[in-house]
Amino acid sequence: MLVTVPVHPPAPPLRVGMIGAGGIAGAHLPAWLNLGAAVSHFSTVGAEVLAARHGGVAVGSLEELLDLVDVVDIVTPTPSHLGYIEAAAAAGKHVFCEKPLARTSADARRAIEACRAAGVQLYPGHVVRYFSEYEATHRAVAAGTVGAVAVQRFTRTGSRPGPDWFHDPESSGGVVLDQMIHDLDFACWNAGPVDTVFARQARIGPGTDGVVSAHVVLQHVNGAISHAAGTWAQPGTAFRTTFEIAGSDGILRHDSGEHKPLVIDGGIRHECAAGTGLLPDVTGISPFELELGEIARAFMGGDPPRVSAEDGLAAILIAEAAITSVRTGQPVTVASIENVGVAA
Amino acid sequence: MTTVAKIAVLSFAHPHAVSYVRALTGREDIELVATDPDHGERPAGESGGRDLAAQLGVRYLETYEAVWEWEPDAVVICAENVRHRALVEQAAAHGAHVLCEKPLATSVPDAEGMVAACEAAGVNLMVAHPVRFSTAFTALKQAYDAGTLGEVRAVVGTNNGKLPKGDRSWLVDPELAGGGSITDHTVHVADLLDSLFDGVAARSVYAVSNTVLHGDVGVETGGLVSIELDGGAVVTIDCSWSRPDSYPTWGGLTLQLTGDHGIADMDAFNTRVDGHSQAHGNNLWIPYGTDPDAAMISEFLDSIAEDRAPQPDGRSGLRTVRIVQAAYDSVRTGASVRL
Repeated sequence: MLVTVPVHPPAPPLRVGMIGAGGIAGAHLPAWLNLGAAVSHFSTVGAEVLAARHGGVAVGSLEELLDLVDVVDIVTPTPSHLGYIEAAAAAGKHVFCEKPLARTSADARRAIEACRAAGVQLYPGHVVRYFSEYEATHRAVAAGTVGAVAVQRFTRTGSRPGPDWFHDPESSGGVVLDQMIHDLDFACWNAGPVDTVFARQARIGPGTDGVVSAHVVLQHVNGAISHAAGTWAQPGTAFRTTFEIAGSDGILRHDSGEHKPLVIDGGIRHECAAGTGLLPDVTGISPFELELGEIARAFMGGDPPRVSAEDGLAAILIAEAAITSVRTGQPVTVASIENVGVAA
Repeated sequence: MTTVAKIAVLSFAHPHAVSYVRALTGREDIELVATDPDHGERPAGESGGRDLAAQLGVRYLETYEAVWEWEPDAVVICAENVRHRALVEQAAAHGAHVLCEKPLATSVPDAEGMVAACEAAGVNLMVAHPVRFSTAFTALKQAYDAGTLGEVRAVVGTNNGKLPKGDRSWLVDPELAGGGSITDHTVHVADLLDSLFDGVAARSVYAVSNTVLHGDVGVETGGLVSIELDGGAVVTIDCSWSRPDSYPTWGGLTLQLTGDHGIADMDAFNTRVDGHSQAHGNNLWIPYGTDPDAAMISEFLDSIAEDRAPQPDGRSGLRTVRIVQAAYDSVRTGASVRL
């Protein structure tokens, strides 16, 4: 059950061009439409199916799309993010891009520079900052409710994604860059930048049938330490997240498996589709509408949103350090964001 | 709405007045005043009057007469339960729409009189049942309406809390509150069923109560209300003030619906981050999601702007008052009461 939040872009409707028609497109498109945006979408596959299911207008080419719209929402597989960001920037369109902002930190820097040069805004889709339980926790931490942040723990578990590209580390960056990046970003939102990363990864079973878990330990510049565990589990596994923030004056914790407003047991009739796979079952305020509404207001000249392109780059740098640590078995110092050059 | 609505909060007697004022002051489409002329009758040390208005940042008028001279479009009534009727009738006489704190009234004749007065005056009468607007109940109603549960024939509801005296001793005064936990808590669950089942009436009510907890307060603190609805569904409501004083929050509300296609368990206050801190001990619960008070205020104002009945309306409130009165009749007689 999604409740529309009062964050509507003003008339005339913002003309949004969505590129891509995968899983997250099915979350973004209805949210854009609920916000009153006029959505066109282009995808090499799946645009017609997406339009039939959710609405919007499918168009036949990227050029046609860019002619029709004010802003672009990129929801394609990770390796293509940079190319589409550059194309949108060249056409003078503001860009919202699903996380990770790009496949590598160097690509993310290129994307940021391309948008800066073109004078367009660029934001990454770190939607966890817009989930009510995470937003409420961040507000409490920022208000000093638990004092100085000392130790944070995060877990994120869901069905492994279907499409093959997710399981090719060259394409997706694996579970760390694709899935855990949400918690890496949230850890930094509470405790600031990260110095050092150590990570391990475990795999049970081969190829796309395998279950993959990554564990990452972060040391923040301010002395806080954080742990994130991310798992791509077998199909049908319930989507579940947990966290605990321990500070000098107290702790805050949440488990999406415990704090459900409504549980329905339908016996053998039960169609257990909700809340499995890659996306959680959301009740209350839609995080996607909150996110896209805030981004839309920024695009129309309003305040900047809570997450910047540089935040997206910082999260990629931590994920890259974690991936290196998995390979070397050693802790890795996170590259400084200033040192990520366009030519890197 | 094209013009700014003038809203007056009448009395700070009920502690919910504070959250309603906060929800109202967050809106830009209204002009707000408040009055709390009876605050002097409350025991020393209980907040109220001009001081509380100043704390809340709301303009204060000294008397109800001053409010009527100000000509409000609508009023929010948070007086002691037994004083609801007189204020609702005054509001109707002045053509002001009414959002009345629950329970609507402490007797069926009072509730009937209030509904009649507002209907005759052509003003909206809404009862303040914010749980209807919670994330949890909205999801439950959507699932029920979609047929996910099939036909529902059995319901267990709980609305348990701490003894609510806190800053307001009248809540446990039989004269001013009209009763104890049966008065205070039965109506919240009954209202949700009124919404789910489209205003179906109760056919029969049986109730038991006791004073094992906080036996010194002079009203019942424990209560179980058994209801058969028209159509045959059976309902039991635990309305007890049974949470210890050290409980992390005021209480909670749950609903279990058993249907032939599924069983739904709703916990209206489970969307929260839990915590423990030096300052709060174990009492650190941070709710998240939809703000039910703000959503309820929006429904009240929207119903006025759209010239339609609000939900829940006065007749819905009357149906829940009938259940409460029947529960007390049952406690007194020891028999099941037919309605």
